[in-house]
Amino acid sequence: MSDGFLTGTSRLRAVLLVTKHDVGGMVRSNRMMIMGVVIALFILGSCYAVTDARFEGLGGFDADNPITLLFLATAFALWPSTLGVVLFGFDAVSRRRLTGELAIDLTQPMPRNDLSLAHLLAVWLTSLLPTFLSFLGGILIIAYRVDAFPTIAELIVFFTATALLLWWYTCLQLFASSLARDLGSSVTLGVGTWLVFTTIWLLVSAFVASLAGVDITDIASAEFDTVNEKVDLFSPNGVYQLLLETLLPGDAQPRLADAWIWLAAIAWSVLPMSLFVHRMQRIKP
Amino acid sequence: MLRLSNVTYRHRDATPTFTNPFLQRIGPGIKGISIQLAPKKILGLVGPNGTGKTTLLKVMAGLLPPEDGHLMIDGARVVDSISTARLRHAVSFMPEQVGWPGPGTPRRVMSRLCAMRGEDNTNGMHMLDLVGLTQRVDDDLSTLSQGMRQRLSLATALLGSPEVLLLDEPLNGLDPVAQAAFRALLRQLASNGASIVVSSHNLNELARFVDEVCILHMGRIVSVGTITEVERGLGIAARLEVSGLGNNPSSAISAAINDVTIIELSTNEGEDWRLEISLHDAEWDSANKAEIASAITDSAAKISHLAIVTSDLEHILEAATGLSVEEAGFAILSSGEAEK
Repeated sequence: MSDGFLTGTSRLRAVLLVTKHDVGGMVRSNRMMIMGVVIALFILGSCYAVTDARFEGLGGFDADNPITLLFLATAFALWPSTLGVVLFGFDAVSRRRLTGELAIDLTQPMPRNDLSLAHLLAVWLTSLLPTFLSFLGGILIIAYRVDAFPTIAELIVFFTATALLLWWYTCLQLFASSLARDLGSSVTLGVGTWLVFTTIWLLVSAFVASLAGVDITDIASAEFDTVNEKVDLFSPNGVYQLLLETLLPGDAQPRLADAWIWLAAIAWSVLPMSLFVHRMQRIKP
Repeated sequence: MLRLSNVTYRHRDATPTFTNPFLQRIGPGIKGISIQLAPKKILGLVGPNGTGKTTLLKVMAGLLPPEDGHLMIDGARVVDSISTARLRHAVSFMPEQVGWPGPGTPRRVMSRLCAMRGEDNTNGMHMLDLVGLTQRVDDDLSTLSQGMRQRLSLATALLGSPEVLLLDEPLNGLDPVAQAAFRALLRQLASNGASIVVSSHNLNELARFVDEVCILHMGRIVSVGTITEVERGLGIAARLEVSGLGNNPSSAISAAINDVTIIELSTNEGEDWRLEISLHDAEWDSANKAEIASAITDSAAKISHLAIVTSDLEHILEAATGLSVEEAGFAILSSGEAEK
């Protein structure tokens, strides 16, 4: 029964069409010209660097198989990808609100939930595009340099985890964008959140570990690693790294049970999205 | 049709402090507004800046939820998804001065909105054609002039043939030719059955095409009706201004016509007298104007100027609020109450 809005497939079609329009606009934007190149350089460069014979690995990981090399490359490569989400999404809502376009959007016969979903998908797909293309190139570089491919199962988990990470940042960034009434506040909220999760999170882990009585001068110890993994569940980057570590062999596997990691991934997928959708239900243009 | 019943909405202004970063203060808005829109009519919403015109339009559009009172469409309160969907289909809103920053083109803007509505793209192109943007459909939005952007905003509002069209300062930025075309378009839409609300701070501009006006001041409706009804209700009905040479004809006019008020104005150069004449219970027409002219010429005076003077917003506001123009113009509703 129709409630007056579009229903069923028409509703989904409307969401996808709006998403397509917004993705088209962002892909053709100047910031894509810049971020696309930066993301490609970082990811391709990282994949090339970790396969160099002089590369000695990171955090005790031996770079001896393709998925491990790909995992090591993400340590550098995901900075620009997640920053790309921030830069693509910081004005997705706030600018439309400032210019009056959001008021026009909200008076259309499209449920606000659907409009929110279209916004999320647009920013997510826009940031996913250069990241996935670059990682495909990176995998080819790794395969060429070490003469081995990751398995299909490894690739599925790798790309799923990467897509989830970008989804989490998209939800967080759009929530920030919907909160801010000006572009400056929006970008500050977005970049601030990004900085906390990408660069300052180790401090949070160290602080929690010290509260738990763990020696924080030895971050390679098993005790610190256990606390660090638990704290990482509260960070999108941490959950992403833990997801990828489940692909690694032997000692490199996370100490936490996989169920906890996937539970955290589900929570990160649902909670920030719910916050954004709820916010859009109440937003006043 | 759309109806507001005793609707109140007050903006919340964020006023964070060190001890309470979420502190908000009640700001301007609208209070106790009751109004029903009629089909085939153009209603002008008039008032000084900050008086609540945009807020009222946004409440009518369902963008701001009433704190008190009800928004109703076809007799049903807008409270659930069914009535909201009905509102979205029936009511269209054109915000004041949409930025349209781009990147993009008018075609893409309309295409996106058509997708949101589940309509065919040809409807969007038809609307662009209607507002005279056919030649600019593929130009980048950043190259459009303010007038062109206004036209694009109007085109977005016309999508879906809305029953109620809410336009916030639509004439801003339009050249005189475009304004004339715009007025004709609105008249045509109204004659086709649409109910149109146009906000403006320029009463004289609105007087050229609206059927009724609603005067807002400090978030409340001061007066509503035809301009003549509003003026009469406030005791400032249209006046006849007449000046000339010879004897002052005041007594001759009073003797010839009942129920008039005559005020002697200061004369300009080359005039012996200048009068402002108001009718108590009638409107000015060619018959009573001829009667006045005849009374003046019978008293051996000669007319050099005779014209109807309509009231402007300043006079209406002064009459409605009892405040001076400066006080009425700068007064903005604000209680100063703080709330968490």
